[in-house]
Amino acid sequence: MRVALLLACVAAPLAGQSVRIRLENRVPAAAIPIIDSLVQVAGREGLPTEPLVGKALEGGAKHVVPALIVRAVETRLDQLRDARALLVRGGDAPPATPAEIATVSGALRRGLPPPVVERVVGALPSEPRESALHAIADLVAHRLDADSSATLVIAAIHAGLRGGRLLDVSHAVLEEQQRGRTWAESFVRVRDELPDVPAAPKPGEGTVQRARRPSSVSKAPTPL
Amino acid sequence: MNPIDPRIHQVLDGEIPREALPQDLRRVVERLESAAALLAAAPEGRSVAERVLARLRRPARSPVRRLAQWLTAPHPVTLRIRPVWSLALAATLVLLMLLPEERSVPVLGEHEGIAQFVARFPGAHSVQVVGSFNDWRTGTIPLEDRDGDGVWRAVVVLPAGAHEYMFVVDDERWVPDYSANRFVEDDFGRENSVLIVRPVKG
Amino acid sequence: MDVREGPSDAEVVARVLGGDREAFGLIVRRYESGLLRFATRVLGSRDAAADAVAESLVRAYRHLASCRDPTRLRTWLYRIVANRCKSHLARRATGDVSLDDVPPIADPADNEAALERVQQLAVVEQALATLSSEKREAFVLKHVEGMSYQEMAAVTGERIPTLKMRVHRAREALLKALEERS
Repeated sequence: MRVALLLACVAAPLAGQSVRIRLENRVPAAAIPIIDSLVQVAGREGLPTEPLVGKALEGGAKHVVPALIVRAVETRLDQLRDARALLVRGGDAPPATPAEIATVSGALRRGLPPPVVERVVGALPSEPRESALHAIADLVAHRLDADSSATLVIAAIHAGLRGGRLLDVSHAVLEEQQRGRTWAESFVRVRDELPDVPAAPKPGEGTVQRARRPSSVSKAPTPL
Repeated sequence: MNPIDPRIHQVLDGEIPREALPQDLRRVVERLESAAALLAAAPEGRSVAERVLARLRRPARSPVRRLAQWLTAPHPVTLRIRPVWSLALAATLVLLMLLPEERSVPVLGEHEGIAQFVARFPGAHSVQVVGSFNDWRTGTIPLEDRDGDGVWRAVVVLPAGAHEYMFVVDDERWVPDYSANRFVEDDFGRENSVLIVRPVKG
Repeated sequence: MDVREGPSDAEVVARVLGGDREAFGLIVRRYESGLLRFATRVLGSRDAAADAVAESLVRAYRHLASCRDPTRLRTWLYRIVANRCKSHLARRATGDVSLDDVPPIADPADNEAALERVQQLAVVEQALATLSSEKREAFVLKHVEGMSYQEMAAVTGERIPTLKMRVHRAREALLKALEERS
């Protein structure tokens, strides 16, 4: 972890250059120096910087006034710090990896209660939690209770499911529910069949062939 | 919330007779009953019988169509536009056959997936999608409405993971995708839609 | 307009499961009026309600074999529509019913009584729209669709005491909203 921090310190000034270039002409000039310094602070603290740059670009594209853009970036920075604190509380070795911090921060932003996120962190020590948190957020988005949703997804983790297969779990619950079962029945049915959860349909060859690769798409998704 | 006299609930739940109530409470019961009666008597709109039966007579949807609907529209918009849609699909296929070298079939990487955007903006001149995947830059992912029915679509390759996005209509109106399952506050007083792209090769 | 005459629900279900697809039309016509009314009240939009009911009926047809008790077909159909409405509301940015979405009542008869009725209905609809979706659903099932608490439990999957409490809270909220508008 010390090496990671050291690398972050060395990389921060270099990253700063490219951040300014990315922000120029896309974010009001008055906001750029402050955002730049916030990004550098995040880099020095070992936090992911891409969510901050993304938020600034979003504000610029939406023609938001500079003060509000800066405030939104500051809020994002605080959210990332909160996410790191949660990960460390949940058992991750400090200072936690930037990718996991971004994942957890995204889950908290989408309204998952911190204790629920902590349960998932604990259930998947030293493994990516992104899919598990998405699966729970999916169920919560349909107004299911966060605790029960977490219990089901954690049961799926204990049954050996990982990655995209965890998203199949939330998909299966929603499918069962759409067939006329109550939420409770849908939960029990999916839980009892674990780990045999039907896979959510994938795009067919025709769809893949129709798909266009947009000219300027980021190499990696900006974690929420 | 002001709790009302429990006897009102008892009457409405059929547990005690109406006559057991004093006049003023009886009026409250009548007020609720007349509200319910108004709601029950109001016309409920056109029958859906024909569109349901027409749908049942069609062969079952392919998994691709099911995915498209799952990802996008919560209701079968296609029912109303079926003939035109079929023509549009046929035209697209013909076009694809005639101009194969114009479009290169994307080779998907391990961490890439397909995102399908569908939105209904009748009368719009242009619709594009902007989001965390293209640094919120306009002009990179336009949606198309080839048959002019107001339903705009785009199928694109995106990195797997979570993305926030909005539609930009006619280069000026920013609109969330209301058919998305997930939303998140954008910290500027509005909400972004959230899309989870799964890796196709996962 | 419930079409209750003719073969029983169980008989129709048996015919459909036996391959008579068109017999499903009897079920649609028998229940669509109530289902549309229920969905319209919960969603606050006739277009959204029509979509939700149509989609639910198609799903009901596809999964008819999983309707364990065809004599309780009605509550099973309501449950599918209720679930569909919940998904629809969850997809919206807010769970509130948009009054802009509620179309005006078409062509009331040109007399004062009818016009007054339309105005009263508008007030009730506005008041109903202020309730949370759960309370709205509970009130409509109980008082507009006239269901017993037992039937409501079959539709929503909730326990009867929970539903009873919800209906009570819904009545109180509706009365308050009506008073504010009178």
